[in-house]
Amino acid sequence: MAGTSFAGEPKFLDLLFSRRAVPVALAIFVLILTLCVFAGFIAPSDPDRMSVRSRLTPPGADFWLGADAFGRDVLSRLLYAGRVSLGIGLGVALISSVIGIAIGLSAGFFKRLDGALSRLIDAMMAFPDILLAIALVSILGGSMVNVIIALSIVYAPRIARIVRASTLVIRELPYVEAARALGSSTLSIMFNHVLRNILSPIIVQGTFIFAYAMLAEAGLSFLGVGVDPSTPTWGTMINEGRQYIDQAAFLIFIPGIAISVSVLSLQLIGDGLRDAMDPRLAKEL
Amino acid sequence: MPYYLFRRFVGMLVVILMVLTIAFVIVRLAPGDPAALMLGPEATVEDAAELRVRLGLDRPILIQYLSFAAAAFQGDLGTSIFFNQPVTSILAARAEPTIFLSLFSLTFALLIATPIGIYAAYRRGSFADQSAISIAMLAASVPSFWTGLMFQRYLATELGWFPAAGYGEPGADFLERMRHLILPSIVLGIVNSALILRFTRASMLDILGEDYIRTARSKGMGERRVVLRHALKNAAIPIITVIGLTFALLVSGAVVTERVFNIPGMGNLVVSAVLRRDYPVIQGTLIVVATLYVVINLITDLLYLLVDKRVKY
Amino acid sequence: MRIPHPVASRFAAAFLMGASLSIPAYAEEINVAIVGEPDTFDPMMSTKDVVSIVTQHLVETLFTFDDTWAVAPLLAKDLPEISDGGKTYKIALREGITFHDGSAMDSADVVASLKRWLEVATRGKGVADKIDDVVATGPYEIEIRMNEAYSPLLSLLAFSNSAAAIYPEEILGETIDQVVGTGPYRLIEHVPDQYIQLGRFDGYVSREEASDGAAGARQQIADEIRFLPVPDPNTRVEGLLSGQYDFADSLPAESYARLETAEGAEPMLLKPFGWPIFAINHKAGLLTDLEIRKALQAALPIDDMLFAAFGDDNFFVVDGPLYPEGWAWRNDAGIENYNQNDQAKAADLLKQAGYDGTPLRILTSRQYEFHFKMAEVAKVALEAAGFKVQMDVVDWATLGQRRNDPALWDIYITHSPFLPEPALTSMYAPTSRLGWANEEKDAILTAFTTETDTAKRQELFSQLQGQVFEDVGFIKIGGFNALMGHKSGLTGVTPSPWPFFWNAKTN
Repeated sequence: MAGTSFAGEPKFLDLLFSRRAVPVALAIFVLILTLCVFAGFIAPSDPDRMSVRSRLTPPGADFWLGADAFGRDVLSRLLYAGRVSLGIGLGVALISSVIGIAIGLSAGFFKRLDGALSRLIDAMMAFPDILLAIALVSILGGSMVNVIIALSIVYAPRIARIVRASTLVIRELPYVEAARALGSSTLSIMFNHVLRNILSPIIVQGTFIFAYAMLAEAGLSFLGVGVDPSTPTWGTMINEGRQYIDQAAFLIFIPGIAISVSVLSLQLIGDGLRDAMDPRLAKEL
Repeated sequence: MPYYLFRRFVGMLVVILMVLTIAFVIVRLAPGDPAALMLGPEATVEDAAELRVRLGLDRPILIQYLSFAAAAFQGDLGTSIFFNQPVTSILAARAEPTIFLSLFSLTFALLIATPIGIYAAYRRGSFADQSAISIAMLAASVPSFWTGLMFQRYLATELGWFPAAGYGEPGADFLERMRHLILPSIVLGIVNSALILRFTRASMLDILGEDYIRTARSKGMGERRVVLRHALKNAAIPIITVIGLTFALLVSGAVVTERVFNIPGMGNLVVSAVLRRDYPVIQGTLIVVATLYVVINLITDLLYLLVDKRVKY
Repeated sequence: MRIPHPVASRFAAAFLMGASLSIPAYAEEINVAIVGEPDTFDPMMSTKDVVSIVTQHLVETLFTFDDTWAVAPLLAKDLPEISDGGKTYKIALREGITFHDGSAMDSADVVASLKRWLEVATRGKGVADKIDDVVATGPYEIEIRMNEAYSPLLSLLAFSNSAAAIYPEEILGETIDQVVGTGPYRLIEHVPDQYIQLGRFDGYVSREEASDGAAGARQQIADEIRFLPVPDPNTRVEGLLSGQYDFADSLPAESYARLETAEGAEPMLLKPFGWPIFAINHKAGLLTDLEIRKALQAALPIDDMLFAAFGDDNFFVVDGPLYPEGWAWRNDAGIENYNQNDQAKAADLLKQAGYDGTPLRILTSRQYEFHFKMAEVAKVALEAAGFKVQMDVVDWATLGQRRNDPALWDIYITHSPFLPEPALTSMYAPTSRLGWANEEKDAILTAFTTETDTAKRQELFSQLQGQVFEDVGFIKIGGFNALMGHKSGLTGVTPSPWPFFWNAKTN
């Protein structure tokens, strides 16, 4: 059977690109990222400029991707919104990783903390993500920063659990024992030996969290408890567009496609990274 | 073994206590005065203050917490501010649609995803495998409310194949109510099938690499028989455990799906409760859902233990 | 995008018919999609429209409004005899009226209910200090004795919102758990967030006059009325189009074209419905300065705001006077200040006022999409005039709370139906949460509420309107229409901010 042989240690990039979809996904994602980051140079107009009389103009020469209910240029908004949506995804991936690593390492290293922290992780993971995020955003208030904080709290336990499990394994490995015997401090063992070894599963998980966070942001916006609706995100754009599904279906399709393509690319990249970094993990979720 | 069970059980109680605490802290910090809200836009500040006293919202937060936790362990999750009814009875009334929505979508997902997942694993790396994985990923990449809106608009309103929204008229019989859940279950099932497909494929790959499969194969047993008899039997165990894990995913999905289709389930309830600042209902839903998750996962773990003697604790 | 599909719709029709066969042929139900769950069935305790819509079928008031929004008797036999310079109202009651519990209504019930209204209802409390006593002067006659004339009283007694509802004396208390009224329908079952099922009240005694608005005969045609809370506007549209509802309240303007072309459903336009309002904080903050209020008034691009908010010229009118065409209260005082759309003038005014760049805080929510859209457009123009604008977009619940604290906002956005009596709008009063007070306006207002002569009241109202524009008490953005929709063949429902269904009939 093709692809089942794990003999030898193929090069990282070869492995990463062994699935044809992965380089394509990577290229698409980098393209989206570049377009959004440089929205200021690329966008044909100010994303907030209104010309109310041209509202709901379909895509065409004046507005490449059409105009929304305020007569704002959808393409420009899409690019600026992408900055926020991708920013939320990236922010959540980074912050939840940092929190998760801190909790996971502490739980894995300090037996005394492990019981309490593990239970906390279990309790947090028992809440369905959207449910917990809704509750958190409704306390904190709907701003971009608060949505990032709320979703980071939601996803941090996932990282923490992985980090704790890996730490428990790695700390018992002979060379870590040896380092300890040689007098390395706990902190140095944590960072030099453990963290370095668990980096790949964290990166893989982080990629998925990036994707989930973008979906969650859209879901929160849909439920009316997300980012302040005057901030363009792909989620708020879909939510605004749904009112015009009949006259201007492009308003809901365009940001919907943007989210789906980005999330899909991220998931493919995450899969590819997992295969490449640790072929044994490839079979698991 | 009894010691293990005891430890798991105590652990579960601790987790549930933490769930209670987290739920209390989260909703009690929320802004918005439930008293002012209940009274409507023309109410005065004094009216609101009076109502707050009546609802006990003026007591010190620690006292509120202790009385809340004590009551919760006795199965009393407080009284809804908005409905003026016990939270438990409100939740009980909302359980039916959510439970059946979850069951249907899980069934739908299993029916679609397991056969495809098995086939994809069997033909690993083939075009069919790649396409199955890609489609599954695509399904998991589209926001579920987006799919829901599209299905509602085109399959329900336009083509009239399904009811567009709601849960049947007053007094609608069971079948009629279930008919209203078909389309939402499909929407929710699509997302879950992606997860189950990948899980099935992964478990099958795991099993197909095992020695005894190779042995069976080397004995000249037909491929079809190898896959269906041996591999599937063994892969079924991890597939069953995924059901416990998808519970949280199902509930998350149900929140959005119930909102799109206006189904009076627990997900819809909690979103309305946030907008109504109905603290006890938000708390109650968070607690019940999280506790269910904890219990379901304990049960699946124990089942796993019973079925698979090789697992050591 | 619309795909006509005759086979599918025929299939759907067959399916729906199959479903309805399970219901006995004589029964007729009206399914009404409303915007949310009423939080009480006691209309005294609430000013929410959704509460009024449902409870007007259950409980009744002494008076009501006819099609022209004139006060007409309901449980009262006739309009009251007013004497003593407008300070005594003698009200004769109809005899032979029974409550849903079978007991008969008499003056003791009415007196007790009105006293409760004066104690607990927001609108009742507002007039309580003007009322000395409510007494029964006979088994079917009561008298309201006041210490000063207050001309809006009858409208208050007729209003379904914070309503002076009549209950049996026995059930009155701080809260009423089981609502017992005299209405044409009674509550059969309430499943929260799912449905409110009302059934015909067989002991109902209708008025004899022909039906005229909410006045006159209430015909009780349908056996059942079910109110279904459907918070999402798009879901209300889809449900109506797929035939699930007979009537749907408050639909997005964007769905008008679809409803018009759809088979089986029709749009119903309430024209005009009401007016969006920028409520101004006079108690604290930036807008306590008249110069800055004038700048705000000058800068607003009313046309664009309305166009963005409602999208279709069918749905709004750029109209300054506080009452629309055809109303007795309409006048032109002060309207030259309306819709100036002059950001340069606003910039000058800001300079004169010495504006220091303090952000102007606009508090709004997306419960009503058009509020938010008007704010978005206003923000752009205000920034062009030199304002710094801070949008606080919160949910409606939070808005309801924050606007009570003058430290938190400068403008909040709301709307109101055109009310039959201007004094029903609390914003004119210095005691409202806007805190709009100035001697001249307050004197006009007092004169207006104590005057009983209609012509003089109209003149006083035009002075009051002049003040709204001169002193920028609050800003009327324009007039807008409300869209509702009903199944083809549904008759007997008149467009109203609080539609009622006792005369409704399906085909």
